[in-house]
Amino acid sequence: MSRILVAEDDPHILRLISLWLTRQGHTVVEARNGIAARELAQAEPVDVLVCDVNMPGLDGLSLIEALRSTAHVRRGVVVLTNRWDHGDLRDRLAAEGIQVLPKPFSPTRLSEVVAALLAAVSVEPGGREPGAT
Amino acid sequence: MSSSIAPTNGGRLFGDLLRGLSGPSGPESRSLGLVGPGVHPPQPPEHCLRLCLGGSVDAIPRRGCALLAGAARGEIPADALRNGRCPAGCAVAARSVRVNGEPAVLLTVNGELPGPAVAGADLLGQLDRAQELVQRVDELLAENAGFANEVLQNYEQLNLIFDLTREIAQITESRAIERLLMQRLARLLVGHGAGVCSAEGEWRAAVADESAAVAPAALEAIVAQVKAQRQVQVGTAGNAAVIAGPLARLDGRVDVACVLRAPGAAPFGAGDMLLLESLLTFGGQILSNNTLHERLRQMSLEVVRALVAAIDKKDHYTSGHSERGGFLTRLTAQELGCSPAEQQTMEWAGLLHDVGKIGVPEEILCKPGKLTPEEFEVIKQHPRMGYEILRPIASFELVLDGVLYHHEYPDGTGYPAGLRGDAIPLVARIIHVVDTFDALTSTRSYRQAYPIERALEVIRAEMGTRIDPEAAEAFFRAFERYRREQPEDFHVRFGALRGGTVEASP
Repeated sequence: MSRILVAEDDPHILRLISLWLTRQGHTVVEARNGIAARELAQAEPVDVLVCDVNMPGLDGLSLIEALRSTAHVRRGVVVLTNRWDHGDLRDRLAAEGIQVLPKPFSPTRLSEVVAALLAAVSVEPGGREPGAT
Repeated sequence: MSSSIAPTNGGRLFGDLLRGLSGPSGPESRSLGLVGPGVHPPQPPEHCLRLCLGGSVDAIPRRGCALLAGAARGEIPADALRNGRCPAGCAVAARSVRVNGEPAVLLTVNGELPGPAVAGADLLGQLDRAQELVQRVDELLAENAGFANEVLQNYEQLNLIFDLTREIAQITESRAIERLLMQRLARLLVGHGAGVCSAEGEWRAAVADESAAVAPAALEAIVAQVKAQRQVQVGTAGNAAVIAGPLARLDGRVDVACVLRAPGAAPFGAGDMLLLESLLTFGGQILSNNTLHERLRQMSLEVVRALVAAIDKKDHYTSGHSERGGFLTRLTAQELGCSPAEQQTMEWAGLLHDVGKIGVPEEILCKPGKLTPEEFEVIKQHPRMGYEILRPIASFELVLDGVLYHHEYPDGTGYPAGLRGDAIPLVARIIHVVDTFDALTSTRSYRQAYPIERALEVIRAEMGTRIDPEAAEAFFRAFERYRREQPEDFHVRFGALRGGTVEASP
């Protein structure tokens, strides 16, 4: 079963994303801010991180930076942001293979993106596929 | 997104609730549990968990007793509750409840093995209270899930509307706009088919799922109703639910947009009607604007053609010169990587560059033999005259540079302004090359036409002085590409020049 960490400071949006992804059959771990999310991922690795950009304490991009090049997020990251910043951020993060979705998120789009990340051949840090020696 | 979503898994919430009701553990302890197909994860009573399941709810299928196994299916097996004791010997009482729309079983277990255990009135009273609470929480969870569904569906709709408004702005072809609008409407309204019946009665399908295949005849009534009332209508066509609304056109008539759901799907509601109405109003405006824009473009084109015809009427010797000028200018602009809009503007400038010749007296313009210096001064007025003819037409603003400066030379010896090098607008530099080429390859009153290759040599020899090198190189490449890639078309346009001469114009 896939484990998804959702970091979002708006409690209602957080619940909604969590609810939606739970219904898609994922196990969801909720974090109300970036620091909590970092601790949760470091305590137990997750497959996918879904995170908001603007969060108090540790914002989404710093969170991604903090978890980068570690095995705490195994499959990939989905970033949620407001519609005005969406275009810029999407272009900026495209090179890193990070998908950016505008808020309010499209439930269909979110589950498609998460499913695609989980379906893709995972590459361990260092570029080796799991099982490769 | 599925239109009906099961409520969230509230198992843990029920577990917390029941543990709170269970009371302290000890010899007299009792524990409550809730299991059933709708309870995820299952919440067996603490007693079962510790005594039989080894602490793991996943062990229910393997280690659970007949009572627990039955309860997990939502049933209370009659023989498993004999004498109020569970198969393991604990006192137990059970109640049927409904959780998440499915039958579930509320269990209470009393006593610590092997001590005494009695299912008394006390135990049943506790079970009654728990039953009430479980049902209340289940209702709240269902309500919460309903709200969440509503919000999620609204998010989905908002995204579709955002995408539609963004995408529609990038299309300029009316049919394509209509198709996109209908495809998005079908998704927004969870429809399986969508199409437009024009005011003239012609059907254009945009989404056609076989499950929603309906004969146009079945839609006649609702289409007629929309046309008569100019309002969104809902109804049925055969077994399919249908919603239809007016798409107002510029001519005052209405096309009718229809969305269908497959037979068996829910009928369309008031929310759907509101959504269709606002999006058709929006779509109708976009389509009307597009039609207006198209007409404006058409009208500009007609004005260009009329002006070109006027030049050709005036100057018989240069008949076809304007048309070739427009064509070759566009070809060169394309070669330089200009945008489609720039290519269009440059083509028009190429077509209209000699429009000022309308203002040059015919005896000078068509004079056989050499011109006197005074006569040449008059001829040199034509770029400025062209500029003055076109300047009042706002939509030709972008072609003015090409018309006014098409006789400027890079070395500054041209007219009317004597501009040098890059100070001459690109479009004018291109037109000058094209103009020179066409003049050289045409028979004039004072000389025969040059063959193509010789004309190209003459242009090459003047690069840097009277001809802009950048525009000339692009023209050479464009011309060669055209000759190579479209030989038939080339032959029609320039074939007569291959022998080196053309017949004298009448």
